[in-house]
Amino acid sequence: MIPNQALTIAARVMQQLIRDRRTMVLLIAVPLVIASIVGVSIPEKQMLDYIAPAILAVLILFFGFLLTGISFLRERSQGTLERLMASPVSKPDIVGGYLLGFLLFAVLQTMILFFYLIYVLDISFYGDLWQIIVFEIIIGILAVCLGIFISVFARNEFQMVQFIPLIILPQIFLCGLLWPVEQMPDYLQWIAKFLPLTYGVDGIRALMLQGQNLLDIGKEIGVLAGYAAGLMVLASLTLRRGAAS
Amino acid sequence: MVKRAPAAPAVKVDRASFNYNNIKAVDKLSLEVPSGISFGLLGPNGAGKTTLIRLLVGLLKPKSGGIRILGETPSRKTAHLIGYMPQLHSLYTELSVMQNVDFFARVYRLSDKQQRARRVEEVIRLVDLWPRRKDSVLKLSGGMRQRVSLACAIVHNPPLLFLDEPTVGLDPELRFTFWEHFANLTKQGTTLIVSSHTMDDAAHCDRLAFMRSGKLIAQGTPTELRKATGKAEANLEDAFLYFIHREDKK
Repeated sequence: MIPNQALTIAARVMQQLIRDRRTMVLLIAVPLVIASIVGVSIPEKQMLDYIAPAILAVLILFFGFLLTGISFLRERSQGTLERLMASPVSKPDIVGGYLLGFLLFAVLQTMILFFYLIYVLDISFYGDLWQIIVFEIIIGILAVCLGIFISVFARNEFQMVQFIPLIILPQIFLCGLLWPVEQMPDYLQWIAKFLPLTYGVDGIRALMLQGQNLLDIGKEIGVLAGYAAGLMVLASLTLRRGAAS
Repeated sequence: MVKRAPAAPAVKVDRASFNYNNIKAVDKLSLEVPSGISFGLLGPNGAGKTTLIRLLVGLLKPKSGGIRILGETPSRKTAHLIGYMPQLHSLYTELSVMQNVDFFARVYRLSDKQQRARRVEEVIRLVDLWPRRKDSVLKLSGGMRQRVSLACAIVHNPPLLFLDEPTVGLDPELRFTFWEHFANLTKQGTTLIVSSHTMDDAAHCDRLAFMRSGKLIAQGTPTELRKATGKAEANLEDAFLYFIHREDKK
């Protein structure tokens, strides 16, 4: 059962996002714009089928990381985290609340992008939507925990954005989004093996293009869940440090 | 929601120390605050007031010595007994006044919906912001934000309230209003620990502790501290300077 305090924090996270209408519009519009650009710039159907599903995995990691990172940074810099840490709320409640709050938006974003890819860009699809959502949630959990953890190292929003080229871009280049990992030099293949997005992209392609189910991609799910669990522990451990600094 | 009337002192600090790297922020400090009074922590910036308050609310753990609040070591278990108004406004600026206060009411486990709604309305009216309840905090002035921050700190009716420089940046009229609120709270049995670096605030407190470089250099009632200077016309500023000079001579 989800603790009440985590639900309270999740509700507040959602309230904050909903009240920020511009962010809400951007959350929906930006993925569609990116998908459209990919759609018109890659005329070859086979190539588009290969790249478009990976966008689902990439965007969930990108937005989850960015939104959580900046929200959490604000929580630290505005002093609300300090206030929360002095209250009866536990650290897992805070991390859990953020997870729940952002994952609802992640699911919404995934569904809108998914239908756009299938019905507007005419991407081939041989799987189940619910399995894709479950897999996206796992990537979303990883992204939220990564955002919370990395926010410890940023003192302002400008610094937080600088982490995107450091943490997210290398994963986008090396995850197999544009060209297969197997065609990269050996040392890059070796690095790609340690990047969670590689498993996210492999998993989503298997679900969408190869008609596989969640059981078939157990390895990808296991690696992503492992990263998510590790980052969740790190995120929880760093909470007090941030509050007291 | 029911206030306790604890037999133990509200706060007891026994030779507590805390340092940030090599800087002694709190240095073997001992202090006892009886229940139901307003207690002022006075000192210049960097005296260690905020660090002491963070130790008392359980955000920091002392490197040595002991701290008890309402007879217990500060922890998450005692968190519902305290209210904390940090130095920053510490509010969700995108949310409305009501959403902020309601959020902290939920955080402090006021689970009954009707009871919570009544209490939220009560504290927003208390800080005189009911007509602005639907406005986002972003639209409010600094003084109004301070009032929302106070409402969030007292919404669960805690028996012990820590206010870290609550009157900084307030105009004299608003400062007076704040002290009226604080006086009402102590009348209802709440113990207030208020940090400040202005002697205007000090005059409103039942008891005071002067702090400097992480140490307590004097404590007593405002009258006792003034009398200690040996000058009949001495004010609290004179008293503070007197104790600083006395400390320097040691």
